Amino acid sequence: MDPILRIEHVSKTYTGHQALDDVSMEIPRGSIYGLLGPNGAGKTTLIRVVNRMTIPDCGKVWFEDHEITPDDIYQIGYMPEERGLYKKMKVGEQAVFFARMRGMGRFEAIDKLRQWFDRLGIIEWWDKKVEDLSKGMAQKVQFIATVVHEPKLLIFDEPFSGFDPINANLLKQEILGLRDRGATVIFSTHNMESVEEICDDITLINKSHNILSGSVEEIRRKAGGNTFQVLYSGTNEDFCAAITGKANLIGESEGVIGGYTQQKIHIPSDDDVREVIGSLNDKVKLRSFQEIIPSMNDIFIRAVNGTL
Amino acid sequence: MNKIGLIVEREFLERVRKKSFIVSTLLTPLFMIAMMVLPSVMMFKGGSSTKNVVVIDNSPEQFVGKKLVSGKTVSFKLLDEGEEIRNARIMYKEDYGILVIGSDVLDNPQNIQLVLNEASSMSVEENIQNQIQSILRTERLKRYDLENMDQILADANVRVNNIQTLKNNDQDDDNMEKTSTTASWLMGLLLGMMLYFILIVYGQQVLQSVIDEKQTRVLDVMVTSCTPFELMMGKILGIALVAALQIVIWAVLVIGASAFVMPLIMGGADVNTAMATAQNMSDPEIMSLVGKFTNVSYMAGLFLELLLYIVGGFLFYASMYAAIGSAVDTPQDAAQFNGIIMMPVIVAIMVMMSVMNDPNSDLVFWCSMIPFTSPIVMMARIPFGIPTWQVAVSLVVLFISFFLMVWVASRIFRVGVFMHGKKPTWKDLGAWIKMK
Repeated sequence: MDPILRIEHVSKTYTGHQALDDVSMEIPRGSIYGLLGPNGAGKTTLIRVVNRMTIPDCGKVWFEDHEITPDDIYQIGYMPEERGLYKKMKVGEQAVFFARMRGMGRFEAIDKLRQWFDRLGIIEWWDKKVEDLSKGMAQKVQFIATVVHEPKLLIFDEPFSGFDPINANLLKQEILGLRDRGATVIFSTHNMESVEEICDDITLINKSHNILSGSVEEIRRKAGGNTFQVLYSGTNEDFCAAITGKANLIGESEGVIGGYTQQKIHIPSDDDVREVIGSLNDKVKLRSFQEIIPSMNDIFIRAVNGTL
Repeated sequence: MNKIGLIVEREFLERVRKKSFIVSTLLTPLFMIAMMVLPSVMMFKGGSSTKNVVVIDNSPEQFVGKKLVSGKTVSFKLLDEGEEIRNARIMYKEDYGILVIGSDVLDNPQNIQLVLNEASSMSVEENIQNQIQSILRTERLKRYDLENMDQILADANVRVNNIQTLKNNDQDDDNMEKTSTTASWLMGLLLGMMLYFILIVYGQQVLQSVIDEKQTRVLDVMVTSCTPFELMMGKILGIALVAALQIVIWAVLVIGASAFVMPLIMGGADVNTAMATAQNMSDPEIMSLVGKFTNVSYMAGLFLELLLYIVGGFLFYASMYAAIGSAVDTPQDAAQFNGIIMMPVIVAIMVMMSVMNDPNSDLVFWCSMIPFTSPIVMMARIPFGIPTWQVAVSLVVLFISFFLMVWVASRIFRVGVFMHGKKPTWKDLGAWIKMK
């Protein structure tokens, strides 16, 4: 499928430091795309480049089939990390204002917004002032204001910060729902758990460079490097004999659990996996055989430290 | 255009709905009236603190001391001949002061002393000086021993009060409009101050509004929904509309007062005569002032000019404020730039004060043409009767400059709103204007 957004060789230097250095990526249409990276890596700068809030020194941003123009901004819903709402304004009125700023009619906006408020359980706050809201509630309002006009592309900067687990989950479900209805979602986050749960693809930015890109599944599998965890009962010699030539032991056996020995092995070639299982099955009593897939958290840390 | 409208609507409603708007709209005129009336009233009622002056008169037969007349400002107490000043200084410590008149005062008028127990007062000194001067003058004339001396003196005592001034009208000799310098000046001062108030108070609101939005990051959301130019114009026009509403409310109040309340007051003219006396204004002057206030069409015309200058001047200054607000992060950072904006305003106020001396001096004329000062200075001049072409040229210059300023400001704004952290220098601002 054609990408909805393509970033080509974007660089941006502020006085004294380089925020982005030759960063490229493609955001597939209809996906949830995670933009990861440690603090100060350049994520927010990249988002601001996409929003045309920052003009890059060089490089191009393509939206759908053309270079991005000011008018495309209205196809993009953006929720900044530092949330911005008018404090003195009433919640509902404010949401209607933002919806109308993005081209909705007044009544259409009120209608849609009421549905959203209802769904996120904040309808009774419609006539309250923003300054009376809790942080989490203000975030929900901001979220609704970002998505209500149903833009093609949504950009959330740290959408889950400040939410309790219940509300974070509610928000996750809403983001998944938006994707299912055809929107493309980009979000930047440090929360790796949420990346595993909802991201289809990611890009990891570190020190202004794109150091890792691809689908979450692929990246995790690759990072696992064909290591497997085996649980068996039998002698060590039989076990070694069974895997010789196809796989290597990784470290010592990790002890015996309930009569079963636990051992990590590495199988260099994907084609050999079935054979290894077969011969193991013949020689020892196999309890479980499982590929080790590292968490995104591990991958993040290893990638940033350069040990992936 | 639609988006500017939305922003205007939001800015306008947010401000107009506040209680502080209603309060300030109603209280400001009261405050201004109080500012104008109170000093007069206090001067008028000031007699309550009459100063007691003890007089030691060493002149022949105490001819000076005996003729001093006590009044509201000063009350004299003449001591017997030969009273020692040393004793008096101890005895009359509670009084305002001791006036010592030398024995040769008729030939040597410098030989007069006023020993004070309290801080000196201009009005008391002036009163004493004037009285003694007139006593000495009469006494010296008497030395010539002319016939009918008293009659000559009475006849010579002529006083010219304020000249009646008319506006030249070569079409109609009999109906030339009466004008009054004092009345015009008062009116000009009021209008000039009003403009100053609007430019500064509402201009600062534009600045504050942009900085607030930048600080709360609402700006990030806004600029992804509209262009910076739309945002800037929306803010300026929204706040301008608030100012306009306030002016219109005041106009309605004043015109209403002109039409109904003023004639009523004129029926029982007590208050006005009191004021006239207090400010040394003669009856024609106060009549001229009241006449202007009660002339509804004149007032309406004046408000139209006021409105034009407010619109032009406000948009001119507000766009500068918007540009600065966009470039900085905090009100503290704005202070440096703010000072530069205030300078022409202060010059304008100073020039406005000099308008009374000569509403057509070169300085005043040019300041009423230059857009940085023209709104305030021209508004102060208009009540004196200024040729229409001058007002027209000044307005045209103002509106052209306003468009230029909006253009410059929008170029700074479009870069400034995205800048965070570093406080820009003048050089930066210049670079932003030129940036493609």
